[in-house]
Amino acid sequence: MSEGKHNLGNLKHQKLSCRLSVVQTKQWLRWAFAVQIIVPQGLAATVALGVLAPSQDPTSAPDGEALVVLAASSLQDVLPVAAHAWAGAGGTRVRFNFDATSRLAPQVFRGAPADVFISADGEWMRWLEERASVDPSTVLPLVTNQLVFVVPRDAASAPTTAAELERSGLARLALAGEDVPAGRYAKMALEMAGVWDGLASSVVRGGSVRGALEWVAAGEVDGGIVYRTDARAEGRVRVAFSLAGDGFPEVLYPGAVAAQTRNRERALEFLAFLRGPEATAIFSEAGFGRAGAGATPSLQQPLQVPSSIIDPWSAVRLSLVVALGAVILGLIPAVAVGWMLARRDFFGKSVVSMLFMAPLVVPPVITGFLILSVLGRRSAIGGFLDGIGFPIPFTILGAVIAAMVVGFPLYAMAIRGAFDTVDRRFEEVSWTLGVPRGLTFRRISLPLALPGIAAGAVLAFARALGEFGATVVLAGNMEGETRTIALAVYSLLESPSGRGAMWTLVIASITLSLVALLGFESLSRWQRRRLEDHHVH
Amino acid sequence: MSTDSGGRLEAQIRLPLDTIELDVDWRPRTDTVAILGPSGSGKSTLLRALAGLEARARGTIRFDGATWLDSDRDLAVPAWERRVGWVPQEALLFPHLTLRQNLAYAGAEPAGVEKMAERLFLTELLERRPRFLSGGERQRVALGRALLSKPKLLLLDEPFSALDRPLRSLVANMVRSFTQETDMPIVLVSHDDADAELLADERWSLVAGRLNPE
Repeated sequence: MSEGKHNLGNLKHQKLSCRLSVVQTKQWLRWAFAVQIIVPQGLAATVALGVLAPSQDPTSAPDGEALVVLAASSLQDVLPVAAHAWAGAGGTRVRFNFDATSRLAPQVFRGAPADVFISADGEWMRWLEERASVDPSTVLPLVTNQLVFVVPRDAASAPTTAAELERSGLARLALAGEDVPAGRYAKMALEMAGVWDGLASSVVRGGSVRGALEWVAAGEVDGGIVYRTDARAEGRVRVAFSLAGDGFPEVLYPGAVAAQTRNRERALEFLAFLRGPEATAIFSEAGFGRAGAGATPSLQQPLQVPSSIIDPWSAVRLSLVVALGAVILGLIPAVAVGWMLARRDFFGKSVVSMLFMAPLVVPPVITGFLILSVLGRRSAIGGFLDGIGFPIPFTILGAVIAAMVVGFPLYAMAIRGAFDTVDRRFEEVSWTLGVPRGLTFRRISLPLALPGIAAGAVLAFARALGEFGATVVLAGNMEGETRTIALAVYSLLESPSGRGAMWTLVIASITLSLVALLGFESLSRWQRRRLEDHHVH
Repeated sequence: MSTDSGGRLEAQIRLPLDTIELDVDWRPRTDTVAILGPSGSGKSTLLRALAGLEARARGTIRFDGATWLDSDRDLAVPAWERRVGWVPQEALLFPHLTLRQNLAYAGAEPAGVEKMAERLFLTELLERRPRFLSGGERQRVALGRALLSKPKLLLLDEPFSALDRPLRSLVANMVRSFTQETDMPIVLVSHDDADAELLADERWSLVAGRLNPE
């Protein structure tokens, strides 16, 4: 009998050491995991860009004979058609990269392989000319566009002039980002109409003009200013009036040959083709206008360096507030879910568990979109909340909810881990002492898991600090309201003059993340130390 | 209420264990019963089933005329309503509470706590936390904590395994007098005959999941 006992003791010992090595492996995994999750992805990409960009060889030849064209995203439907026509007329193959002008111009400046750059405004082109990133002698106005004010197709009423905007009681007005040409043109137009000051607080900035258009189409905002060509392609909106003529800024797309091209002749031919009769027909079919020859008004204006004034500390403060709000809002659900996963067995538990863990792997942008469909103004819940004075989209509350949902898996998982370390026989002893489940939870389980719950809160806080994708979709990018660190960095990426602020944010973000991770680590260690005495006899 | 005529506890329990099935039909005759058996025979599980901690237990358990379990009628009185004093082998003192708080957990008066601490030679240790105690001290606290919850039935799992010989008989005598004062039956499980001699008038052995009188 005593031998049997001895063997059992050995077995217990083996199990214990086995468990220890698992714990250590988990430790490593957790660190790697946590660092990867917490550092904002946009930030990581920025740092990577800063490190990697100078090593790119700007003179490397573009692949094969293809001409590489970087062009404003509002051209992405029409330019490929023109390029096809050019190929038919003896041109070469063209590879396109469409994005907001404000994102493309800095790429050209940093030496991205490009032969032709087509901007949506003169200022970014001028900015590149000054930096010798494009050949000034090749700059040509190609086409023009118009700004229009659009409203959701089913809107009951719509203003008919810019002057009416102020009195029309619009709650939210979507524009493209302030460094995106469409966003700047729109602001200029509203200033010229004398209504900017009254409307500034209602403005929601989408990243690109297409983003602003989507918000109008989805009915999340009452109206927006976009290009006529974009509005034409979107069936869910209608044009209320256009912001053209009468001293409104002319939207002009200049093209130029990039300085580092190795296909200069071909690039010039392509630009010339775009000004020729065949391309002009294609452009006008899509709603673009023909640009006059020579210099244009916006190119003659004194150079304004595109920049937005972003106060990095306001973004840091806002990030802290949003992250704290997310932690507080998520506390009770995370404890409930963590407890359920640790202690309850029920049919379909793995499905429920998977559902709660989904935001960990689903792209945050998609998570944000899903929250918007549930809590947007057009939804039942969102409409109700809006009605009682708690609108979610484009508010700080929206930013808090986005950060909460995306951080929830880490939150609940850490808390589940904390409850797992609490021997459930402590709870059983408490029951036999006459203390029912609920009170046992409060007197035994909760206090014993408290350091682990705090660790989970810190982890969720850190993740909330890094939240970007869901926030930008659900809450937009509004200074002082929803522009957190990650969003501010993203905005600054489009603003070449904002490098100082950018590095302030990068350093603040990394510091905060590391401090939070340290806090998480020491709280977790406390949780384990506190109970480990009772696993070893 | 009778103290020696038997019939206060009766249990028919079926419960699958790792390798065998626990299948007992049990009606002890006295109020101090020892169940003996080797490690892994299911003694502790049987005790847990009596305490209401084994949700998979089937059958019936009756104590003092009350039905604690009747699986045919889907009846299972939860652990917190059975009023048993369960003293697990590992003591399982609440690590975040001092000894005093552990002893008073079920709501005992401060004076009662002091008195119990005295009877179990724990007075000096009352303000300490469990992790600073020896195994024997922990077992005594667990015993005191269970007794202070005024149980109707005391369930002891290897209660003296960490106590020195001289202390064993002292503590055993204390438990015997306390349970006689309060008319509280004891079920004790152990792998050690000596424990049974100290406290039990009646012995059963658990072998291959079956309980037999010795």
